Order: sequence, then C-alpha cells, then structure tokens
Amino acid sequence: MRTVLLKVGATAFTIAATALSALYVTSHLKNSAAPLRPPVLSASRGVAFSAGGGTVTVGPSVQPGNVQPVSSTYAS
Amino acid sequence: MPLEPRVESHHFEALGTTCSLFAAGASRGELLEGEFWIRRLGARLTRFSPDSELSQLNAAAGRWVEVGPELEILLRESLGAFEKSGGLVNVAVLPSMLAIGYTRPLSDGTVTATLEAAHPAPALPDVLDVRRGEARIEPGSALDLGGIAKGWMADRLCERLGPNALANIGGDLNATGAGPDGCGWPVALAGVTLMLRDQGAATSSTRRRRWGGVHHLIDPRTGLPAQTGLDEVSVVAASGVDAEVVAKTALLIGPDLAPAYCAAHALAWWWSGPDDH
Repeated sequence: MRTVLLKVGATAFTIAATALSALYVTSHLKNSAAPLRPPVLSASRGVAFSAGGGTVTVGPSVQPGNVQPVSSTYAS
Repeated sequence: MPLEPRVESHHFEALGTTCSLFAAGASRGELLEGEFWIRRLGARLTRFSPDSELSQLNAAAGRWVEVGPELEILLRESLGAFEKSGGLVNVAVLPSMLAIGYTRPLSDGTVTATLEAAHPAPALPDVLDVRRGEARIEPGSALDLGGIAKGWMADRLCERLGPNALANIGGDLNATGAGPDGCGWPVALAGVTLMLRDQGAATSSTRRRRWGGVHHLIDPRTGLPAQTGLDEVSVVAASGVDAEVVAKTALLIGPDLAPAYCAAHALAWWWSGPDDH
C-alpha cells in the first residue's frame, strides 16, 4: 500500500511540475514587439559638419566640447 | 564641491616628433619617467640605428632572433593590424620606403626620390613569424613599425601614468580617465574640440614627410606612395593603436569606401582630399 502511494505521489508531483512549468513558459513568451536592438544603436548615428578643410563626423560615443583643447591629433 | 585634480604636463621631442604627457594626480617625476621610457623603447625600435632590436631583426635574413617583450607584442600587433585592415596596414613596406629614398630621418636633410625599385609589399604573415621571445623575417623583407609603435606606446604610457592621463606621441594619442574637470580630455581634431575618455586618436597623412614629389605613406598594394583621393584622415577609436590602424586604412581605401569603413570602425572621424585645402 505504501509503495503504491509513493508511486502515485511521485507521478502526481511530476505531472503537476510539468503542467506548472508549461504554464509558466507560455505566460512568459518573448514579447515580439520588444525592441531587438540596444538603445545605443538607435541613438543618433553622429553629426557631420565641415571643419578644417574637410568633413568631421562625430559619433554618439564622443562628445564635442567648447573648452580649450590641451592636445591634438595631427600628422607628424 | 569636489576639488579638480591638479594636472601635470610635460612636453619634449623624441622619436623624431613632439610628445606630450598629461596626468592628473601624477608627479613631474612620473612624467619624466614616461619620457625616459619612450626614449629607451624608441632606441630599441627605430629602423634608423643599426644596433636597434628592430634593425637586428631586419638584418637577420631568415634566422630566428631573440626579441624583447615589447617588440614581440608590437610584432603581434602588426600582424593583427594587417588582418584587421585587409592587408592595407602592412609594416613590411620598409623595402619600398628605402627604394623611394626614405633611408634616414628627414630631419637629417633631403633624400633623393626614386620610384623604380619600389614593389608591392608581401603579405605580412607570409614573411613574419613570431613565437615566444623570438621572431623571424624572410630574407629580402624588412619592417618599419611606424605609427603602430607610436599608438601602442601612447596606450601603454597612459597605463603607466595612472587612471587619468593623456599621452600624445606625434599626434597618436590615448586619453584615459575623466580628464581635468571630469568631462573627458579636450582634444582637437581638425580644429574641433572633442572630449575623449578612454579613447585614442590618430592622424594619417600624405601632406607631411614629403620630399622630391613623393611622401612616406606607402600603399602596400603598389609599393608606391599612396594616391587614393584622400590626403589626410584623423579618427577617434577605442585606443591609440586602433585609431592609427583605422586612420591609415581609411586613407588607403580612398573616399568612396572610407565613409562606410569609418562608420563601422571609428568613433569620430575627419578627412580631407587634395581639393579641400
């Protein structure tokens, strides 16, 4: 009798765990409307303007400044 | 209100160019140590001295030669730059540089320009082998580490100078940390001030180091001074050595492909062609 109870209990537990897992998964489906790209990629792709006899393009990860530069890149 | 860190600076001539070091919270002695480090390393990496480590490697004609850790790293960086640039950044262009007359520092006087003996550079991985503590170059080939060495040295110097420093070696620079006032290091690129933070910048140009109608920037595809429709390219990238590789590659691929290439590999960029003076 005890063995039968254990088998029935284990079977019921397995079925319950499977059912709960299925419920959990189906209720947490990936939102197909969610953005697929991180915000940084949808940020401005940079601004371009004329400077120094050419064209400067500044991407979103570099900030222009309005202070006196301490150094510069140049051809040497 | 937090106190702004005191920025120490030091300017000097080395490697045939002007160098500038800035560091917040560092002592003048630490900047001087940085200068000595550049000079010591420069003496080992120059191609103009027959005694340098690089010259001995170039002269070994196929034999394995012991190399120091810095040269070994730079040789591996050079192989990486060749890979990343699709072969356009190739330090094996030295035979062409010598052929067009760039046989000594231009500050030592003018040299004669000739183009007849220049030839396309071999693929770097075909002529350079590097293993732990040793390197080998195929006979007939020779290397000039050029801008890669400057960019790499700027990157390493910033590591040595602390978490808030800027090292500029002849226009190849690295800016690490928040800068003097916490907004980044203000760096000029084509007259525009950019606030760099944990980034590098470099310029590649055919307008400098000219003599007899030629210039020093060799296109490895032809072995001749580059003529691509771009004269000068400056970029900001993740590090000084990355910026050097991207700037040179963009200049060599020319104005048609450079915009897409820079958009993919640079954080900010500027270029100018012969008509933009």
